[in-house]
Amino acid sequence: MVFAVVLIAELVALTLTLARPDTAFLTELARISMFLQWLGLTSAALLCYSRRWLARLTVAQSSSAAFALLLANTAVISLLALWLGTAFGADGRVAAALPSEHWPFLLRNAGICVIVTALLLRYFFVTHQWQKHLRAEAHSRIQALQARIRPHFLFNSLNTIAALTRSDPQRAEEAVEDLADLFRATLRDSHSPLRLKEELELTRIYQRIEALRLGDRLHVTWDVGQLPMRAFVPGLTVQPLLENAIYHGIEPLEGGGTVTVSGRVAGGEIEIVVSNPVAPKNPGTEERVGNRLALDNIRQRLDLAYGGRGSLTVLQEPDRYSVTLRFPYSE
Amino acid sequence: MNAVALNALIVDDELPARERLQRLVAELPGCSVAGVCSNGADALALVGKLKPTVVLLDIRMPGMTGIEVARHLGALENPPAIVFTTAYDEYALQAFESQAVGYLLKPVRRERLEQALKHASRLSSPQLLKLGTPAEPLAARQHVAVRLRDELKLIPVKEIRYFRADQKYVTVRHARGEDLLDESLKQLEEEFARDFVRAHRSVLVAIAHVEALERLGDEGYALRLRGETEPLVVSRRQLAELRKRLASH
Repeated sequence: MVFAVVLIAELVALTLTLARPDTAFLTELARISMFLQWLGLTSAALLCYSRRWLARLTVAQSSSAAFALLLANTAVISLLALWLGTAFGADGRVAAALPSEHWPFLLRNAGICVIVTALLLRYFFVTHQWQKHLRAEAHSRIQALQARIRPHFLFNSLNTIAALTRSDPQRAEEAVEDLADLFRATLRDSHSPLRLKEELELTRIYQRIEALRLGDRLHVTWDVGQLPMRAFVPGLTVQPLLENAIYHGIEPLEGGGTVTVSGRVAGGEIEIVVSNPVAPKNPGTEERVGNRLALDNIRQRLDLAYGGRGSLTVLQEPDRYSVTLRFPYSE
Repeated sequence: MNAVALNALIVDDELPARERLQRLVAELPGCSVAGVCSNGADALALVGKLKPTVVLLDIRMPGMTGIEVARHLGALENPPAIVFTTAYDEYALQAFESQAVGYLLKPVRRERLEQALKHASRLSSPQLLKLGTPAEPLAARQHVAVRLRDELKLIPVKEIRYFRADQKYVTVRHARGEDLLDESLKQLEEEFARDFVRAHRSVLVAIAHVEALERLGDEGYALRLRGETEPLVVSRRQLAELRKRLASH
């Protein structure tokens, strides 16, 4: 902070010196620098001292107050310089370096102070706004990236529960509990990662709810015995992959099919593959954009969590669609 | 209410959804369940057999979507009224709103169901045909329906070799023979623009079934189709467009 003040004061000094070509450059620079460094440092000290008081005011009020403080400080320092000028007037060399005329000197300094302060205050204000904006943006991005459950799934699940309430109250009860767990997970703070065990448990809960609706059309084969369950994983990265596999793979198949979830550790990385059968392409049906959005979402969250060290790759074969999730193993 | 009995066919691929609608309909006074099925093809067969007054039709089903089922039903002489059901489907709902088509959101409320069943009206064929247009995932049909007395026969679009317009009807030529269709060649051309092309003012041909474009003496060109012995005459006006489409296929 002090360094920044010194730097700004010096830059202003340099500007002022450059604007006066008819004087000896270095002497002039030294003279103005000394004056401005005094001014800068005392101003910074003043503002620092009154910071608590300024913080309680509105932006307009605190700006005006800062303005007044700096202007007053400029006057005091200028007067001090003048006083030094008269006190050391006897010594010719010192006298030459100090100002002698009162009013023009004071007014010039006040003018320069007003302009520089205005520029600086504006600069600080804009920087502050910009940072506030950046923070808000990052926050909303994380919010948006927090894996969302498809409305399609929500309403279908509610419909299933409505049906089970009468035909099989106990299963309806379990379904409500499962749905609650799943939604609680989507509302978690996305900064704190989950243990792999918890993530896989959530994925299984999701599978249970879908199984109620899809019956024996849905089969899921799990091969995750080798995975270290204590490893950390960004929350809701595996569950959406199963959701995609069911939505795009199993649901369009009249006879249903089998989704496989398999995992292994290789070279300090955890690798999880979710793969689903693909319905034969019919004329006129295009690939839905929903799938790509969900995958992009997971990719971005991997990026936020691991920099470039996590990845999501897609393998599209004629009859199978596989997504591979890779991220560093950490406990 | 007893005077007009409502007879509903319930179509949904999910068992709990079917069970719930079945129960709700059965509990409504003056309403009964004519039948229940889990896919579009069964639904079309049952409509001919059971003659329900209204069909409760799920939109998102494997195989044939509810929208496509509805469009085929439009080919019947006396189609039943249709009420779509969906848990969540933005595209379709937009279309329904703009065309005053009846729909219910799942989980369905009893009062809404009662209202929808009583106000369900028959949609005209043009209305039904329009349903497919705005929504990308539901766009082109995968079958065309041919009416045989009260029943519907479905012909997979993949098996269709060409459509030929005669005076009043359109003949559809497919792997298993020929049938008459109650649609205009122009509509068919618009709907299946991706896979079909005009060979002649009155012929729309499936690009995938074309074997070769041959010169017919000095008289012009003809198309030879796989599985067909008779070549199809190509008009001079269509030749350039046809060549372009065949080349890019």
